[in-house]
Amino acid sequence: MEAGAEFIGGVEVQNNVPVIQKLIAVLWPSFLTAGVATILFFTAFDPQLIMSVSGYGTVSRLGGYTIGFFLFWILTAGSCALTCYFQRPCSTRQD
Amino acid sequence: MPKPLPTESQDSSFYEKHAKVYPREVHGLFATLRVTGVLVLLGIYYFVPWFRWNDRQAVLFDLPERRFYIFDLTFWPQDFFYLAVILIIAGLSLFFFTALAGRLWCGYACPQTVWTEVFLWIERKIEGDRNKQIKLDKAPMSKAKFWRKSLKHCIWIIFSAWTGFTFVGYFTPITELGQSIMQLNLGPWEWFWTIFYSAATYGNAGWMREQVCIYMCPYARFQSAMFDRNTLIISYDQDRGEPRGSRNKSEDPKSRGLGDCIDCKLCVQVCPTGIDIREGLQYQCIGCAACVDVCNQVMDKMGYPSNLVSYTTQNAIDGLKTRVMRPRIIIYSLVLLGLTVALVYSMATRIPLELDIIRDRTALFRTTPTGYIENIYTLKIANKDTVTHDYNLVAQTTFDSRFQMRENTIRVEAGESGTFTATIQADPVQLKSMSEKVTFTLTSTDNPQLTVTETGVFIGPVR
Repeated sequence: MEAGAEFIGGVEVQNNVPVIQKLIAVLWPSFLTAGVATILFFTAFDPQLIMSVSGYGTVSRLGGYTIGFFLFWILTAGSCALTCYFQRPCSTRQD
Repeated sequence: MPKPLPTESQDSSFYEKHAKVYPREVHGLFATLRVTGVLVLLGIYYFVPWFRWNDRQAVLFDLPERRFYIFDLTFWPQDFFYLAVILIIAGLSLFFFTALAGRLWCGYACPQTVWTEVFLWIERKIEGDRNKQIKLDKAPMSKAKFWRKSLKHCIWIIFSAWTGFTFVGYFTPITELGQSIMQLNLGPWEWFWTIFYSAATYGNAGWMREQVCIYMCPYARFQSAMFDRNTLIISYDQDRGEPRGSRNKSEDPKSRGLGDCIDCKLCVQVCPTGIDIREGLQYQCIGCAACVDVCNQVMDKMGYPSNLVSYTTQNAIDGLKTRVMRPRIIIYSLVLLGLTVALVYSMATRIPLELDIIRDRTALFRTTPTGYIENIYTLKIANKDTVTHDYNLVAQTTFDSRFQMRENTIRVEAGESGTFTATIQADPVQLKSMSEKVTFTLTSTDNPQLTVTETGVFIGPVR
């Protein structure tokens, strides 16, 4: 998708933010917050214990941290993407 | 007719189309300072994981073992408090230095600046100076161009790979990591993080560069909130420089109605973020002072006084007095000092021993054949010291009781934790209430200073 005009709800809206900036706006803040969440979460919970207790088999701790980090990243990126999406003006009621 | 919805950027894009910045090499006082900073910081980064201390890596954030080792100190996940305080101190220092001297962090210490500086240096060694780089990029692809570009990327990648390897070396013992990388049998996660960090270094310092500062860095966006009229900023002396214009060295600029700026545009060429400092303070300015260095050289050559572009403050520009000690600075330094003292004190007096008392959850109490009430406790003892200790456990009760350990000795290896079981028995007539307090005191047999106290409860029948 290139930058330019976009039609949302039949209304022409200028959309001049390049795609790469939108991607950064979604992926980068979520990366930072996912990092913080990973540190906080795994300080309190040992991934090996969680995995074995919940019956997911064995995974190394480093593997647990990595999986945890990416899970957090997917979640935070998801909310960033939703924020981005809801920021787009929606169609107003037409009189 | 529906009106077009107002958007933030109707006619002009908020983001400019990105044009590659070719920062010109610069020498001078601040460039020397920055290069010194780069050497010291990168020296620390690449050297520290190799440093040995008491038969182990001196600084190791051992994630697989959930222990952080920093010289003689061992931190457990329960010690997260210290990390939190250290992070708060780091954040406050950033505020303090920003209020005092602007973007010192960005210009001299930020990893983005430091690694970009190295990548620029490699680029310059291979592709030549700024003009040669621009020419090479404009030239059509040729054998020579292809060779130069490939060489540059190869060296960048090798350097990035070493950086990524070092990064992982902070989290898994680096000597073993080095051996397994030589034999190419690294664990999948180690592979992953080495490549991830290498790719990040290569991408950020090789390709993204100033765009990281402009678009990605949260600090760059909010740092101006810490600025006031007494903060050190890099500024162009408009009154002295304007009207700008080229002239001969022999000419008297005043006779032609010119200011001191000869409009050579070198300040723009050296700028790593590609801005023109003469347009005033901009948030893209990372405060690297490259323009100060280069302009001073030009002023020297022209025989004009230096500091047409200089480190100054808004108050100084307006001809007012610059105040270093102001409420903001005093408050930041007091809080910073207080936190640092508290941290050092609590680390110095920290007892490397932890005791957790867990009551048996299956039964509140048990009645022995002799009619005594018995409570069972699981004791988790963490020895955070660097040597193995034997411990003595004493349980104090307000009633007559018999205390017994299942194990004969309580020995916990250095940096390990152990689980032990203790029982307390009491005659039910002795118990005044259903729940009585028990105080457990754990003391090392070889060092009475090494002692912790925890309280638990003794539960008896309802009375």
